Amino acid sequence: MAIAAPTARKPRHVITYVFLGILVVYFLVPLWFLFVASTKDAPSLFGGDSALWFSGDFNLFTNLSNLVTYNDGIYLRWIGNSALYAFIGGLGATVLAVLAGYGFAKYRFRGRDLSFAILLGSVMVPLTALVIPTFVLFSELGLTDTIWAVILPSLLSPFGVYLMRVYAAEAVPDELLDAARVDGAGEFRTFFQVALPLMRPAVVTVLLLSVVGTWNNYFLPLAMLSNSQLYPITVGIGLWQGLAAQNNGGSGVSLWTLIIVGSLISIIPLIVAFLSLQKYWQGGLAIGSLK
Amino acid sequence: MAEAATAPLATTKVRAATRKRTARERRHSLTGWLFIAPFGVVFVVFLVTPLAYAFYLSLFSKGLATGTAFAGINNYVRAFTDPSFLKGVWFVVRFSIVLIPVQMLVSLAAALVLDNLTNRFARFARLMIFLPYAVPAVIGALMWGFLYSPSFGPLEQIFGAFGADAPFLLSPDNIFYGLMNVVTWQWAGYYMIIIYAALRGIDPTIYEAAKIDGANSWQVALRIKIPMVRSALVLILVFALIGTLQFFTEPQVLGPVANGTITPDFTPNIYAFNLAFKYAQFNYASAISFSLGAIVFVGVYIFLFVTRKRGSVL
Amino acid sequence: MKKKSLVAGLSAIAIVASLAACSGDGGGGEGGSNAKPTNCTNKIVNADAPVVSVWAWYPNMATVVDNFNNDHDDVQVCWTVAGQGADEYAKLQTAVSAGKGAPDVVMLETDQLVGFEIQEALVDISDLGANDVKKNFAEGSWGDVSQGDAVYAVPIDGGPMAMIYRKDIFEQYNITPPTTWEEYEAAAQTVKDAGGPWFGNLGSNVPAALTALFQQNGAVPFDYDLADPQKISINLDTPEIKEVMDYWAGLTEKGLIGTEDQFTTDYIAGVVGGKYATYVSAAWAPGYLTGAGVGQGDDAGLFAVAPLPQWDADNPVSVNWGGSALAVTTQASDKELAAKVALGLYADEASLTDGWKTQTIFPLNKDVLTSDEFVNNEVEFFGGQTANKDIYIPAADAYEGTTYSPFSVYYYAQLQAQLVKIAAGDVGGSQAATDLQDIIVKYAQEQGFTVE
Repeated sequence: MAIAAPTARKPRHVITYVFLGILVVYFLVPLWFLFVASTKDAPSLFGGDSALWFSGDFNLFTNLSNLVTYNDGIYLRWIGNSALYAFIGGLGATVLAVLAGYGFAKYRFRGRDLSFAILLGSVMVPLTALVIPTFVLFSELGLTDTIWAVILPSLLSPFGVYLMRVYAAEAVPDELLDAARVDGAGEFRTFFQVALPLMRPAVVTVLLLSVVGTWNNYFLPLAMLSNSQLYPITVGIGLWQGLAAQNNGGSGVSLWTLIIVGSLISIIPLIVAFLSLQKYWQGGLAIGSLK
Repeated sequence: MAEAATAPLATTKVRAATRKRTARERRHSLTGWLFIAPFGVVFVVFLVTPLAYAFYLSLFSKGLATGTAFAGINNYVRAFTDPSFLKGVWFVVRFSIVLIPVQMLVSLAAALVLDNLTNRFARFARLMIFLPYAVPAVIGALMWGFLYSPSFGPLEQIFGAFGADAPFLLSPDNIFYGLMNVVTWQWAGYYMIIIYAALRGIDPTIYEAAKIDGANSWQVALRIKIPMVRSALVLILVFALIGTLQFFTEPQVLGPVANGTITPDFTPNIYAFNLAFKYAQFNYASAISFSLGAIVFVGVYIFLFVTRKRGSVL
Repeated sequence: MKKKSLVAGLSAIAIVASLAACSGDGGGGEGGSNAKPTNCTNKIVNADAPVVSVWAWYPNMATVVDNFNNDHDDVQVCWTVAGQGADEYAKLQTAVSAGKGAPDVVMLETDQLVGFEIQEALVDISDLGANDVKKNFAEGSWGDVSQGDAVYAVPIDGGPMAMIYRKDIFEQYNITPPTTWEEYEAAAQTVKDAGGPWFGNLGSNVPAALTALFQQNGAVPFDYDLADPQKISINLDTPEIKEVMDYWAGLTEKGLIGTEDQFTTDYIAGVVGGKYATYVSAAWAPGYLTGAGVGQGDDAGLFAVAPLPQWDADNPVSVNWGGSALAVTTQASDKELAAKVALGLYADEASLTDGWKTQTIFPLNKDVLTSDEFVNNEVEFFGGQTANKDIYIPAADAYEGTTYSPFSVYYYAQLQAQLVKIAAGDVGGSQAATDLQDIIVKYAQEQGFTVE
């Protein structure tokens, strides 16, 4: 066996690498296309020789400057809006989830099990099904077409609570909490000084998940907003696509090149966030499933 | 599972000391509620209230030519006899049945392969496969729309090199696969990471024991690894099911380039959106939303019930 | 209590964050809810004047708005594009339902007016100056924006239909512009037999064009009067409509025409590349095609226009596709001022001239229609053809107006669905007409209309 193993392993490794190679190519092709297309002007975008290789002049910087000047720089505004919504919505959702998850995990109180059962059930409610009733509700409160119409519903993350509860139950030993209490620390101080540091990987994970969720959200802002100055980037790009798909708006600048280069820029922040925070979330994502 | 095991133990401990610590316990209980209260408020305001309101709205009807009138369950009768709604439900159900296994297979295979490798290429591959998760669905769909284009997409160029016509992946016959590809691309990496993380959590000494018993890597994967990450798989399935049944963004974005294949009633969510925001039928749209929510809830519940094993929470 | 402090806390975070966001992107105005004047695509010239918000998507709108703002001290326009066509209507519908978020003035195609009128979303501007300009417009186009004595919008442009064609393809296959639909099919067959390109196109996303072609054959799809708002008559399965549907379904089935959606980049690429010999479209089409890069470079000077083919050459009928108007919404804070903008915005000579010269609009104002410059204009897109005099003005003059249903969006969506089925070969033309009738009648009844 000791002799057979290395020879038997070799072809399998080749297959493994081929398999992985194919997957990497598949997952990267659209992003590669996006990058290549960002360097083209409209004629080579639509008439160029190859969709997946550079052709014509290198127009990336022209496209970029068109992007940030078009319509008085509305693109930057959209990016700013997305950041704002994702930041507040994601942060808020995380804070709520951490508190509630900790509460569920470490306190026994009347109605806890029932509340948690309801919460678990709510994970199964498709959130987009809530968009229309929330819209009607908000329109009666005069909240539609404001930033709150996008931010407030984003605060709701039942799954985040579930993750935090599972993680807190495992990562925060009761003994440690009791010791802190014996030392005279109040409940909240115990939470902040003892429990919270232990929960950090899960906090980062839930934060990333909710930021991504809000950043990528399309249905909710699409329904809630009509003022294009309040659009997040997803709805903004969608607006451009709608215009471009019907005759390109007729104006001098090709909207398609803006859509392409705008898409490229818009995915950079999250990719950077994921790459730089990977040591936190890669572990954190397993939390929910280890149960 | 650890939770389930410790909870009864803790309860007995508490019970033993009940009389002495009632006051403290009351405080303890109050603090617990305080921790949960902020989320509770958001939960009630943005989940319970809209749901209740949706239900309330769905009991009325308002036509373009009439005022609002109480309709009872008429909207629901209408929904479940409405070919548009039923067709949409049937589509997302069919889509889930085909899509989810494919997605699972891709992500499971990738995770298993990556779990066996620890070199730099594997780390690179893992991140690249995961990358699409960071791309908003709107942008992902848009890119694929371009790639599918019969005039300037690469598919056409590749097929053209062999003198053949590329299939238009957004035609009525192919839309199913066209969308499946977009969604798999978007989510398989995320699922892969969850499975991968679960695999890394397995105690490696189990493999050693299996190796000594003469198991090869295939057998280890099939007999040990997959069963050990079962709950991760269930979790993913639930996510995928909920996500697919409320399918909206991708078809909505691909609509303008799909030559009318993506109709206003393509999926239940698109239908509800169009009913509400194009046809101004909020009552009926609420009934559709509510019905969709109920279908998803029941579907996922049944699924969990079937796959449920003792001790698992989700 | 808890809720209050939560909201207060969140507001504090939000204020800090929005301050950060503003300083981040150079302070692009306040991010508040009713910051109406800040979200303009254009520059406000006279900062002191009150501002009226406008949604419109005319391709030359930037010029038009600047012209208006430069000419006016007393009012300024703040213009945005909320989407084109259906996208904008969805946004407007959303705003109407929410009771807020609508602009003061909105560009609508005339077929959309009734749908918003019935929801009381548009202001009757007959006494706000509209009646004074009535004389500037033909009866047919005025009828499209009014209901009895009430006027709900100011007409800007129309869409008299004609047949744009490729001279090079016609020459290559030795055909002349067909004058009847019968000849159109015969010519299409000739080109196909000789291995040529598609003769035309019927995209599923142009149900309004097909509806115009129904009317050309004498059909009256809808009869509706806002004076009796609960009653409607729906006639979509008549012999006239079936004949048109069968005709186009036949062309599709025989492979004589394409079924790609129109206006898309793929379609435009096809038009540039000579994939279609004709384009049955309206007078505004050349402007949109030019904007998308057609008629420049390789295909410059290849296009010409001929009258729309007829069912009966002896009794020609003119029809209209598209064409739009500016309406005042009931959400406008100052309706008088909004009406002033609606009436004046695309009415000055400079704007109208720019519009018709770029062929992005076909003006309805009689002063323009009868001006020498307009009549005798040699259209560059058509290689110097005097298209206005020869084709479009006669077509526009003969147009008699149309009655639309109050649920155009729904009707078009359903017609579009039928066209997709026809293109896929799932259903024939007559059957599609019958199905459409059933669907629309059912819908109308659900909406509380009495269908006659």
